[in-house]
Amino acid sequence: MSAAARVSVVIPVKNGDRYLEELLAALAREHVDEILVIDSGSSDRSIQIARSAGVELLEVQPEQFGHGRTRNLGAEQTSGELICFLTQDATPCPGWLAAYREAFRLGDRVGGAYGPHLPRPDTSPMIARELTEFFATFTADGAPVIQRNGDPTFLSNVNACYSRACLEEIRFRDVRYSEDQAFGSDMLEAGWIKVYHPGAAVLHAHDYGTLEFMRRYFDEYRGLRSSIGHIEPVGLRSGVRDVRSLLAGDVRWMRDQDYSAGKRLRWGARSLVHHSGRKVFSGLGSRAEALPGILRRCLSLEGDSYTPSDGTEKDIPTVSMPKRTPVAEPAKLDLHEYETIARVLRDGPVALADAVPGMADRERLHLAFVIPPFSEGSGGHNIIFQLMYRLEQRGHTCSIWVDDPFGHRRYEWPAVVRASIREHFVPVQAPVHKDFGDWHGADVVVATGWQTVYPALTLDGVRARAYLINDHEPEFYPTSVESRWAEETYRLGLYGICGSPWLRDLYVEHYGGTGEVFDYGVDHDIYKPRPIERRDDTVVFYCRSTTPRRAVALGVMALHELYRRRPDLRVVMFGERHPLLAPFPYEQFGVASPEELSWLFCEGTVGLCLSMTNYSLIPQEMLACGLPCVDLQGASAESVFGADGPVELSAFETHALADHIELLLDDRDLWQRRSQAGIEFVSERSWDRATDQVERSLRNALRQYDCEFQASSGRVP
Amino acid sequence: MSTPGVSNDQELQREIEYLRARVQALEAELVEVQAQANAAVAHWQERAYWLDRWHLDLNELMRRPGADYVRGALRAVRSIVRVLKRAKSRLTP
Repeated sequence: MSAAARVSVVIPVKNGDRYLEELLAALAREHVDEILVIDSGSSDRSIQIARSAGVELLEVQPEQFGHGRTRNLGAEQTSGELICFLTQDATPCPGWLAAYREAFRLGDRVGGAYGPHLPRPDTSPMIARELTEFFATFTADGAPVIQRNGDPTFLSNVNACYSRACLEEIRFRDVRYSEDQAFGSDMLEAGWIKVYHPGAAVLHAHDYGTLEFMRRYFDEYRGLRSSIGHIEPVGLRSGVRDVRSLLAGDVRWMRDQDYSAGKRLRWGARSLVHHSGRKVFSGLGSRAEALPGILRRCLSLEGDSYTPSDGTEKDIPTVSMPKRTPVAEPAKLDLHEYETIARVLRDGPVALADAVPGMADRERLHLAFVIPPFSEGSGGHNIIFQLMYRLEQRGHTCSIWVDDPFGHRRYEWPAVVRASIREHFVPVQAPVHKDFGDWHGADVVVATGWQTVYPALTLDGVRARAYLINDHEPEFYPTSVESRWAEETYRLGLYGICGSPWLRDLYVEHYGGTGEVFDYGVDHDIYKPRPIERRDDTVVFYCRSTTPRRAVALGVMALHELYRRRPDLRVVMFGERHPLLAPFPYEQFGVASPEELSWLFCEGTVGLCLSMTNYSLIPQEMLACGLPCVDLQGASAESVFGADGPVELSAFETHALADHIELLLDDRDLWQRRSQAGIEFVSERSWDRATDQVERSLRNALRQYDCEFQASSGRVP
Repeated sequence: MSTPGVSNDQELQREIEYLRARVQALEAELVEVQAQANAAVAHWQERAYWLDRWHLDLNELMRRPGADYVRGALRAVRSIVRVLKRAKSRLTP
């Protein structure tokens, strides 16, 4: 492209008299060769201004106007080698044309170039900041940037310049909005390159009222959807987070621009409304085609129910929009989620504090429980909190430390976590801490899940470390680092307090640890026989499909088989919020409260709760209500209930499982025997007894360390 | 006639017993302090529930530049309310 290439400027106009005079004067100052104003039905002074400036004027009917179509027409009506497009409210800054000429000299295949939009002095701070920060992302050092296929496709006809060769090869699509974005994508795909030149700046900002802004966003995002397939994500939590972040950015920007406090307050309120409305309207705009026509007309600034005639979804190119991060803030370096594991594996555990003789027998201990994040209904957490509650009642001081390296529950602050425990589990007195910034030592720190073992090993001021093992967690994972690191926790020397003999044997014999067993308790105030007639056709199935070890698919297959044999079978499923797809009719009980479950267990005929690793609390709760239960043999259930105890144990096989359920449905003697044995079995199992066992284990953990300490310091224990 | 060695051993034993008792007393005191500290934290967590629920850190909020103006505005409103209340009480028989 020669330095003296002829330049034409095309300006579509409709009622644009506010800035048109200023714009044409700026173009005259830049010495462009040709100016074409295309008016589409202005009722203000726009036509007079164009005529008096002596520029070419083309008038089209408003209904013939289209952002792509009209610009194609403008290109055909002009003769320059370079064709610039400006909007009626974009005033070129000095050096604008020279910058475009320079841009086209950067390569042979430069098909288009664009420059930044600078805010006018009266532009709202929201728009001013957005423009400034958005265009700053394109160049780090203020130099022109060449963009090729794979780079951001952004292009804006508010202020852009094209080579005629490129425009003749790739025309603007006939879409209502975002023809420039579509063109940017098309030209890069066709092998053209584009240039962002920071010197080719225009003063430009839309100056709408709040509602107009919203409707404008609706139209823009509808256009983005139809032209480049962009769908604005929608979500309450993410939306609130985004709006809060944008508002904070605006306030910070206003402070940097020395806005007075009053103006900051006023514009802050506007900013909140602006960004909130934008979130809503942009989301709606992206999904405009799913809205009724009348609603589209109401929400659109154009006031129509336009449906794109091209750019349909099948030929929508996938593009990456430029990331709108403020350049002033460098990326933060942060520790990765497995940093604690890395530290323990690298440096080993922190040394325990010196043992104090007699501490194991001290009446009150200070116990710190490190727990993973939880949600309502978590059985493992129920066990932890039941024990903690009763340890507190015995005078021990407990504290809760939530270890959440992945930030699953980062939006729940400590007081909220504590209230959640008290509301959904038991009313513990312990304070809740998130992370370990306030750590102040403890007599015994209790890890309660494999992930919590690693942070527990980094805590100082501790005289013993215990590990409440409720399941064999390596089995929760496929072959993975998590599986290996979970296994590793059993070899790190913590005193195991295991939820079944099966787990204790694994911990001691397979992993070489030291530990004891405790028996899960049952809340006998809730789970007990109730005055309701027991049915003879009902299977109550614990179908928590989000927990793979509950073998839900196997249970469904067995129930399907049973349904084939007994079409009058009634199945009630619980434990899962959403109904499961099943090839037989069933009643969905969802996630129910303990009280509701106990009534269900008292009404059912047979319980079905499958455990492929350690046994669940559910079978005991069913037994306490007199409901015989079927579980899988070969894992932990046998170690707890015995081979011919209160629970009917089945092989891992569909027909065998169906047979066992059917046996309990048909054989009244067997049913009676299992039911009675179940009630007797669980009568001894209470949370108080479980707490006795756990308390004893905690004291043994202290004793064991005391002995080791005495031995290592050369004293006789 | 007393044996000096025996006397020393007894004294040492008494000293050890005393120190053990003292350690245990201090440990018990520490447990008491920890229990009180825990209870205090738990108490304040109960009181701060809605602040945590709404993710409001008042100290952080009040450190922001606009907080002075907001506090000033609230003081002004409060003083007007007080003046009005005072006037009302004077006018009301």
